[in-house]
Amino acid sequence: MPRPGAVIEVDRNTPPTLFHFGEGVRLERLPLGSRVVYGPDPIDPIGHPERAIRRALSHPLEDDPLKALLRSGMKLTIAIDDLSLPLPPMAAPDVRQLVLEEVLEQAADAGVEDIHLIVATGLHRRMTGDEIRHIVGDRVFTTFYPDRLYNHDAEDPEGNVYVGTTSQGEAVTLNRRAAESDLVIYVNLTQVPMDGGHKSMATGLNSYQGIREHHNVKTLLGSLSYMHPPDSELHHSCVRQGQLIEDTVRVFHIETAINNHSFPAIANFMQKRETDWTATDQAAYLAVKQLTDLAPPSVKRQVFHSMRAPYGLTAVHAGQVDAVHDQTLAAVRRQLGVEVEGQSDIVTIGVPYIGPYNVNAPMNPVLVVCMGLGYLFNFYRGQPVVRPGGVLILAHPCRYEFDSVQHPSYIDFYDEVLAETTAPAEIEKSFETRFADDQWYRQLFRRSHAYHGVHPFYAWYWAAHALSYVGDVIIAGGERETVHHLGFKCASTLADALEMAEQTVGRYPSITHLRMPPIMLADVR
Amino acid sequence: MKLALLDDLSQLRLGWHWNSMRPASWAPPGPAIPERESDLGWARVEPVRTLRWLVQHGLSLPVTRLMANPKVEGREWLNHLDRPALLVSNHVNHPDTPLLLYALPDKVREKTVVAAAADYWYKHRWLGRAVSLWLNTFPFSRTGGPQAVLSSSQQLLKSGWNLLVYAEGTRSPDGRLQPFKPGVGYLAVENRTPVVPMHVRGSDRIMPRGWAVPLPAPAQIKIGKPLWPGRGESPRAFTGRVEAAVRELAAGSRTEGVKGSWIERWRATAPTRGLL
Repeated sequence: MPRPGAVIEVDRNTPPTLFHFGEGVRLERLPLGSRVVYGPDPIDPIGHPERAIRRALSHPLEDDPLKALLRSGMKLTIAIDDLSLPLPPMAAPDVRQLVLEEVLEQAADAGVEDIHLIVATGLHRRMTGDEIRHIVGDRVFTTFYPDRLYNHDAEDPEGNVYVGTTSQGEAVTLNRRAAESDLVIYVNLTQVPMDGGHKSMATGLNSYQGIREHHNVKTLLGSLSYMHPPDSELHHSCVRQGQLIEDTVRVFHIETAINNHSFPAIANFMQKRETDWTATDQAAYLAVKQLTDLAPPSVKRQVFHSMRAPYGLTAVHAGQVDAVHDQTLAAVRRQLGVEVEGQSDIVTIGVPYIGPYNVNAPMNPVLVVCMGLGYLFNFYRGQPVVRPGGVLILAHPCRYEFDSVQHPSYIDFYDEVLAETTAPAEIEKSFETRFADDQWYRQLFRRSHAYHGVHPFYAWYWAAHALSYVGDVIIAGGERETVHHLGFKCASTLADALEMAEQTVGRYPSITHLRMPPIMLADVR
Repeated sequence: MKLALLDDLSQLRLGWHWNSMRPASWAPPGPAIPERESDLGWARVEPVRTLRWLVQHGLSLPVTRLMANPKVEGREWLNHLDRPALLVSNHVNHPDTPLLLYALPDKVREKTVVAAAADYWYKHRWLGRAVSLWLNTFPFSRTGGPQAVLSSSQQLLKSGWNLLVYAEGTRSPDGRLQPFKPGVGYLAVENRTPVVPMHVRGSDRIMPRGWAVPLPAPAQIKIGKPLWPGRGESPRAFTGRVEAAVRELAAGSRTEGVKGSWIERWRATAPTRGLL
């Protein structure tokens, strides 16, 4: 039986605590009395995933078995989540591959000839052939790529259709192929409660016109926790859009959940609590620490981004989207949930090397903010771990470093927009339209592997709630000039950062460290 | 940098107090990492793969060439494989594996895992590790039920690895081909995987059974046309077909169509065949 999550208090016997530090790691001594929060150990995966998938397809929730929905002569579209999840990417075979193979087996038995597979990228970058191959596996890839297995294009005027307007006046568009299909099967992978459900279709196969309806400052400020859908205005908007999509096209939803076994054996020390470390873990830490201290960033990136996580499938459900998503969320919460008693004046988090938007690329400064304040801060239910007006300390080198292929508009966003203002509402009002209409960004988005022109805006809006909530943000170990450009304070060491934080929250503050990843969901009482 | 290393070492040395009492607030120590079936996954990740490449190209392949000067026929069938396959061969003695790996094109060899008898090669921990490093083997249970064997082999095939399997289940006592075990058929049918029949001749002269030291002797490896499980074909029937193909290779007549046109090969490896 895997151990549940834990909160331990730092005393004289407590070993130093591991902090992720971009493409590196650090051991830090937290002040006595600080709390360290650990997520639950990985729960046991399903022993025979293929059998579980077959069972889910033949006994769906509030829907007919998949076999009954497939018939010869029909137009079938299968949409797949892209590689932005899980993080780090899953060691082959990806669970989406297992699901797809079973679905295609049934489609072949039914004689369905007209099948398209679409990677539901939304405004994310186009996945490369190798990345798609990793998600779907060799067999599916060689069968369908590139004619009938391709990325969704959110900027193709011919490839997207207007579906309608929700009761709240939100426009909804949808990939044309999906909209004109007799059946759309969505194959999802849920790692955190934010994913899946109606959000899959409402963002993955939508266009900029539809996505901007919920990816805006007002909605995101109204989302008290992205990780708890009932408290999230973003999710309410996605549900409204998703329901409209379901009225237009028949959707069969397949959702999978995985455990939090996030690191391969060679990096076991990152997975384990420091209180469980052995001499082998210490040696592995020492080797990784020396490598990351000495190696140039490109080498470190190569090493870190080649890591594949040995996740295990913990749940698979198919059928009607709401019924399926409820079950998936329960499975995800079972894996991630950890109870935390009360809030803290200061919360510290080590920002890892990877986030949803920098798979195979460096995490640029805008994405550091998105990851730290948008994602890691939001891993809570109820209320944040840090108190209102408290201080959030992020550990990350935060270098001026961009991938010009994946993030061209991020560079201009950082240089031009953040030089003017860092206030999300002001940024949205003054700059978003210009970036959205920029023909060069559009060209790179559609033909190269660039994120959409407005993507850096969304990454910044993602942090809006945290920015309005905390009193101060300090980036420990960051590049001074870059951190100041982002509008935050910079500290050389964690000890300095804690001292600086005292100026905001007072002497003898309460401190909590969220030891992520492996990710967790703090249930703050 | 030297100082940083010393600091790190002292932090590790002083930071952990393994001999002192574990505070009550800590969770009891537990297997934080779930137990996974031992398929020696480490042997298939970097830097072990690079190390193996060095060992094979620096030592194993040149020695094989020197000792056996192997003649390889039908390698072209492997150039057109576009998905993981089962490579099924006869088994006479230990040199079979280096010879068969020698016969594979580099690209295929680097993605090939060898099924090694768990009860023989993995009886001693370090021997198992050494062969896994050298030949990229994984423990293949000869005593477990078909489900146990299928499960780990399936994972490898689905992860993009070719699987080299000796379908007779053990070394032939007299060099003649033994009846094939049906596991090969189960694996191929269950995964819709192509099977490449292979036949190796000469390893009994390189290392006669019971000998520990190899001797120089010529060897010959033949590779046949990939076979696909037909629609509705039972695993046993498919195993029979694979066995017949290996027997044909052994008899000297290569499987029909080796010299066939590119169209034939194209169709033989057509991805849609696996779905039909």
